[in-house]
Amino acid sequence: MNRIGARLATAMLAVSLVASLALAAPAHAATAWVVDPAHSRLTFIATQSGGEFQGRFNRFHAGIAFDPKDLARSRFHVTIETASADTQDETRDQALVGDDFFASSRWPTATFDATRFVLAAGGRYEAQGRLTIRGIGRDAKVVFTFQPASAGHGAVLSGGTTIHRLDFGVGQGEWQDTKWIGNDVRIEFELVLGPGPAQAGGTGG
Amino acid sequence: MQWRNTANSYGALAKFLHWTIVVLIITQFFIAESADELPDGIEKLSLISRHKSIGMLVLILAVVRIGWRLANRGTPAQVAMPRRQQIAAAAGHGLLYLLVLAQPITGWAMSSAANYPVTLFGWIQFPALVGANHDLHEILEGVHEATFYTLAVVALLHAAAAIYHHVWMKDDSLRRMLPFGGRRTP
Repeated sequence: MNRIGARLATAMLAVSLVASLALAAPAHAATAWVVDPAHSRLTFIATQSGGEFQGRFNRFHAGIAFDPKDLARSRFHVTIETASADTQDETRDQALVGDDFFASSRWPTATFDATRFVLAAGGRYEAQGRLTIRGIGRDAKVVFTFQPASAGHGAVLSGGTTIHRLDFGVGQGEWQDTKWIGNDVRIEFELVLGPGPAQAGGTGG
Repeated sequence: MQWRNTANSYGALAKFLHWTIVVLIITQFFIAESADELPDGIEKLSLISRHKSIGMLVLILAVVRIGWRLANRGTPAQVAMPRRQQIAAAAGHGLLYLLVLAQPITGWAMSSAANYPVTLFGWIQFPALVGANHDLHEILEGVHEATFYTLAVVALLHAAAAIYHHVWMKDDSLRRMLPFGGRRTP
């Protein structure tokens, strides 16, 4: 490698460092929150044989920067461990992790990234972003409410969206049949938020 | 043929319910056996779904049958037989009703314990009978199977008794429940 090459590499490294810092630093965005995993939940409601059943993801990480007064700089970055899908039945849970559904060994996580937030009807908000499952990204809109705690600095963020599982290839081969497993899957969440590092200093809340 | 029971024969509704439940329960056994042999997949799921829907249909029909029996006080007169046999017949019928109800109910609870929905052919969804619980599901699976074999034995005794009355006693016990049977010509 010659000197120009080395310089180029250094420059690229610098650019990527700056870029990753910008992406990873919600402190630069709106109010950053820390999600309380013990009291937060991410559930899904799917249909089987025309009947609904509920499952949940036991492991997910939600990076939330949200301020109703600063929607422009609000951000969601949610990472879900697909292998943590729990429907309270071993057979079904194993099928979900398997190649025909989440294929968790190949795609361990599903993500939702939103950078655009708008006010929706009834005092709710809509996060417009990108949902990626099995490596397939699709635009998705999540409608939610944001309720600051009456006391303290916390807040509760809850909402959901309905997706079509087949848009993401969740259900391969014979499982593409929607007669016995519906295409629509409702995703719901309730995130209990505590003040992030920036707020802990007493600047906001 | 009358809807209601008469002094000589069961009415059309009682007969219809009796024989429909018989056919459905026999069908249920074969669906369950076929599903059991299949690997996990859409075919197995569809068979189990049908099994559950038919089971809920049996439950509804059994409730209607019992309700109709209670509302329809004029059941056919007892054929003449010793008191001991009358008590045995009444106990046998009571046990049959109980088992025909228990069979779908244990199946329903078994689905609920594994967090699987129970519907009537996807038209309506029944609420979960019990919360999701793996151990309870295993227990209920055993109970559901045991209930079936008990039901099969009691139902066979019931059929054998009806045939005994028909062939040896030459009375109307069987005839009055047959789809187009009436009273034996005197």
